[in-house]
Amino acid sequence: MPLKEDDCCLFAEEYDGPPLSYNIPCAVPINVEKIPVAAVVSPVCISDNMSFPVIQPILSVESKKFLIDSVSPTSVIANCGSNQLELVSDSITVSPTSVIEHTEEEEEEEGGDGEDCELSSSGELLLRSCSVKESLDLNESSSNPLVPDWESNESVLSMDYPSSRVTGDCVSETNGDGKKQPVVTFLGIASDDGFEEEESCSNLRRVRVVPVKKQPQTKGKKGSCYRCFKGSRFTEKEVCLVCDAKYCNSCVLRAMGSMPEGRKCVTCIGFPIDESKRGSLGKCSRMLKRLLNDLEVKQIMKTERFCEANQLPAEYVYVNGQPLYPEELVTLQTCSNPPKKLKPGDYWYDKVSGLWGKEGEKPYQIISPHLNVGGPISPEASNGNTQVFINGREITKVELRMLQLAGVQCAGNPHFWVNEDGSYQEEGQKNTKGYIWGKAGTKLLCAVLSLPVPSKSTANASGEQLYSANSRSILDHLEHRTLQKILLVGNSGSGTSTIFKQAKILYKDVPFLEDERENIKVIIQTNVYGYLGMLLEGRERFEEEALALRNTKQCVLENIPADEGDAKSNDKTVTMYSIGPRLKAFSDWLLKTMAAGNLGVIFPAASREYAPLVEELWRDAAIQATYKRRSELGLLPSVASYFLERAIDVLTPDYEPSDLDILYAEGVTSSSGLACLDFSFPQTASEENLDPSDHHDSLLRYQLIRVPSRGLGENCKWIDMFEDVGMVVFVVSMSDYDQVSEDGTNKMLLTKKLFESIITHPIFENMDFLLILNKYDLLEEKVERVPLARCEWFQDFNPVVSRHRGSNNGNPTLGQLAFHFMAVKFKRFYSSLTGKKLFVSSSKSLDPNSVDSSLKLAMEILKWSEERTNICMSEYSMYSTEPSSFSN
Amino acid sequence: MSVSELKERHAVATETVNNLRDQLRQRRLQLLDTDVARYSAAQGRTRVSFGATDLVCCRTLQGHTGKVYSLDWTPERNRIVSASQDGRLIVWNALTSQKTHAIKLPCAWVMTCAFSPNGQSVACGGLDSVCSIFSLSSTADKDGTVPVSRMLTGHRGYVSCCQYVPNEDAHLITSSGDQTCILWDVTTGLKTSVFGGEFQSGHTADVLSVSISGSNPNWFISGSCDSTARLWDTRAASRAVRTFHGHEGDVNTVKFFPDGYRFGTGSDDGTCRLYDIRTGHQLQVYQPHGDGENGPVTSIAFSVSGRLLFAGYASNNTCYVWDTLLGEVVLDLGLQQDSHRNRISCLGLSADGSALCTGSWDSNLKIWAFGGHRRVI
Repeated sequence: MPLKEDDCCLFAEEYDGPPLSYNIPCAVPINVEKIPVAAVVSPVCISDNMSFPVIQPILSVESKKFLIDSVSPTSVIANCGSNQLELVSDSITVSPTSVIEHTEEEEEEEGGDGEDCELSSSGELLLRSCSVKESLDLNESSSNPLVPDWESNESVLSMDYPSSRVTGDCVSETNGDGKKQPVVTFLGIASDDGFEEEESCSNLRRVRVVPVKKQPQTKGKKGSCYRCFKGSRFTEKEVCLVCDAKYCNSCVLRAMGSMPEGRKCVTCIGFPIDESKRGSLGKCSRMLKRLLNDLEVKQIMKTERFCEANQLPAEYVYVNGQPLYPEELVTLQTCSNPPKKLKPGDYWYDKVSGLWGKEGEKPYQIISPHLNVGGPISPEASNGNTQVFINGREITKVELRMLQLAGVQCAGNPHFWVNEDGSYQEEGQKNTKGYIWGKAGTKLLCAVLSLPVPSKSTANASGEQLYSANSRSILDHLEHRTLQKILLVGNSGSGTSTIFKQAKILYKDVPFLEDERENIKVIIQTNVYGYLGMLLEGRERFEEEALALRNTKQCVLENIPADEGDAKSNDKTVTMYSIGPRLKAFSDWLLKTMAAGNLGVIFPAASREYAPLVEELWRDAAIQATYKRRSELGLLPSVASYFLERAIDVLTPDYEPSDLDILYAEGVTSSSGLACLDFSFPQTASEENLDPSDHHDSLLRYQLIRVPSRGLGENCKWIDMFEDVGMVVFVVSMSDYDQVSEDGTNKMLLTKKLFESIITHPIFENMDFLLILNKYDLLEEKVERVPLARCEWFQDFNPVVSRHRGSNNGNPTLGQLAFHFMAVKFKRFYSSLTGKKLFVSSSKSLDPNSVDSSLKLAMEILKWSEERTNICMSEYSMYSTEPSSFSN
Repeated sequence: MSVSELKERHAVATETVNNLRDQLRQRRLQLLDTDVARYSAAQGRTRVSFGATDLVCCRTLQGHTGKVYSLDWTPERNRIVSASQDGRLIVWNALTSQKTHAIKLPCAWVMTCAFSPNGQSVACGGLDSVCSIFSLSSTADKDGTVPVSRMLTGHRGYVSCCQYVPNEDAHLITSSGDQTCILWDVTTGLKTSVFGGEFQSGHTADVLSVSISGSNPNWFISGSCDSTARLWDTRAASRAVRTFHGHEGDVNTVKFFPDGYRFGTGSDDGTCRLYDIRTGHQLQVYQPHGDGENGPVTSIAFSVSGRLLFAGYASNNTCYVWDTLLGEVVLDLGLQQDSHRNRISCLGLSADGSALCTGSWDSNLKIWAFGGHRRVI
């Protein structure tokens, strides 16, 4: 009958069924197996070593009531409840009084420098001998500045703790009593870890509770420091956010090291914090402020708040029975009306009405509706038994009472459908029956029944503020996450700087600060002098040419009797390009300064002096004549005419550059350096109305980074700094197709080469690219004069041009055709190299709207690429056919 | 003289130069009957051996949130400044691994940083083409930004490397993507001299690294993307004293040998080389076995005696320790316990040579030192 006996055993299990779900962790057998491993050896070590620690074996014998063999008390505690902890720590005080006196004496000595104290009293606690040695090493920086304890393969920096790992691995190496305590810490956490993993899918609250109980145990008396065992519970101490260990003034820095994740023991780094301490995240204690300087404290507090390990772990939050993904948690925390005091636990969420509550309880709050978090709501989410349903959830009695008092017909156990604004209808019917929270009385009623009412974000600003103070840390953290970087690259002259300036003007409230404007003014004025200089140079050339021409003519005409009169012979050297002697002097001086290359040094100061002279010069007929022939002056940039025509205004000392002037000005953003701009897209009213789910977009911030084109080749040394950008915007000047660079290659081909080297760079392997075909306005004008086939890449451009172009608005213009042709060329080129699709946009960098729309497109792509990861493959293929629609 | 005539002459001149250079190379090859490794092997030298605990990671400096790009030690006190892509300079105490300063930079794309000889200020430079000096004694405002105490502007390309002239707090040499190096007077913020550039016999591509001789502070070496290294004398900026050819890729890093008469280079071609500045000869090539699987050399450092050369490579988290005499790899820090988990981008030896600090793209710095048991005095 052994089988039946087995049955009996199985029967015995029934007792564990209903009530004792919380007691399961106490399943002692597992722990007992673990305990002796740590314990058996350590008492041996202690007894071997020295006289004082011998006390402990005695202690364990004393407190033997719950253990058969003399297991070290601490390790037992690590796996048992907290009551026993007190028991032991009491019994520890039984140790010889002399020692305790000693500690207390030392406590009094303890002034500012803890290390000195340790040294002076090193004879006292042999227990700590090893750590004292280490501190000795460290302090003697002159002789051996870095004498690490080899035992610390552990990368962490505190001198005592690293050894714990070694002891954990091979206990026989333990040579000091001081190391015993960390053993427990280490094991405790390790087992903790396993525990959480095991249970992460079952009941959460249990997991939450267990780590709190498993604190590292101190061997000192109650309330003393966990490391040096000195002090009483009244001395100020810093607490580890994970394991609750408390350290005194002199130990905290050693126990917590450089605090890369805030106030955690070195052994606790990387572990999630104790949720009950979440409130104190980033709140600095007075002690820390005393120990470290402001900057350090700030840094530590910042990392404490923002580091990944200290964030609320998303998988601990269950919504409608499903653990959240990190992205879902972000959605939840950033929505306009997030749940207050979000803690690990089970919640239910009614997506239609926004009702939110703890699993099995009545609604607690109304948060933003329609958030895509968690699973579908279950009927018994709030454990109701009224048989009245709201959005598929059986409501609680309190809610029913509220509904009844609010005048909602609840006879016949109806199923309601409640929207976020409180309008409700019966399931299966179309017409709204009324608004639950419509009456003022209902809100009062809700307050009485402690039920939530929808919060109008506009109405109760005070509540909002309260909230914001509460969860600022979360927002700060998100801010770090949501900065999207956009890299703006392009060959020189492609208009990246204009786009950058345009973005600055578009998205910044104050695009240029006062002193920035002052600088820009100087730059513009210097530029204008430069343009003038070029004009004067041209004038000289034209004058010479004219004279030469005349001379040859005169030679030819010499035989013919001169009947032109004396006047002609008088101003033999005067042509239409000649200027007066005073202006000539100025012109010579200007040219000389320019040749010397210190135009920028002299000019800002000299401009006041020369302004009238410039005016005179500009009005001079010779200059005007030269200006008319400006297209022959190769060096003169196209924007020069914009400034030259206003030269007189620009060169007055009290000239203030307008935004347009700045846009046109060259060299405002330095061509050699890098410029970056943080911005967020302002929301227009229409957009807001269209898409309320986009609310949190205003949180998204973008950083536009313009990098110099110089050295952007395949061997670029700094391009890997931009590994983390969200997308690359490549700007091409469309009007470059007939331009030729200094070494004779077509500029468009150079651009193509640069484009190739960037898209094939390993750093940008999975990057999205947006191609902005810039200077559409110039292209439109130019393509009529110069055929696109001038560039050999565009040889096969054969537009079908209708004869009635212009009059007929149905047909695309030649400019449009050319743009589409180029876009397709680039797209094919891109996909042949990368196998992906390229986004293309056209723009006129001088037109704010076109730049705005291009950058908005960039934003859309970024958002889309974020979502793409969440969306299944079938929709992905839809995406890949998409880009062609972006081309306009 | 017409343009075509000039072009012709230029072509002829270039050809002559190339011819002469080739002859020089041939001649050097002819003269090069041995290299350091073969000679010392013939002398019966044995390689340095490393015990298990002779070089171990004993500190990890955590705190940066981006790739670490550069680090520098103070000459005396054991502090380190590191620059990272998170846009911060952090000053560490290498002994306690505490951060003493965290300086937020106006431009996050920093490539280099340096400690001044007196340890009172740090310099950094990057893609903003400016070398910024921060005084460590100045107080930060409430956002944690330390005001820039001096901006050295004038480079027309990114600042790739900066180093203070030893024992002179007022002088600093920077190298830049504009093909020049500049010696700055920090107190005035002005250029003292410019090395290379348009009209001078300087580098023909981005300069990536400088190293100033410890024995003669007038001499410094620069390494460049034109795959040469050049020796300069700060007193005569007009031309390079010597140009060292040999590498087949960009010279990413140069470092003077401790005696000041030799220097080492690390290059994109995956080799490190040792040159003698007096003869202009290449003394030794340090080429790992296997065909360049470790990628370019990112950074090098010599031990105090010069017997060891530490070299960080771009791939596989490799950091070799070379025996400079025998040309053999004696240790790979990348295979040690607790090694970096990403490319080692920079390394430096403390002034007394007792510790090596490595910075990596995994955003940590690690300090390596003797890790055995030592008798406590």
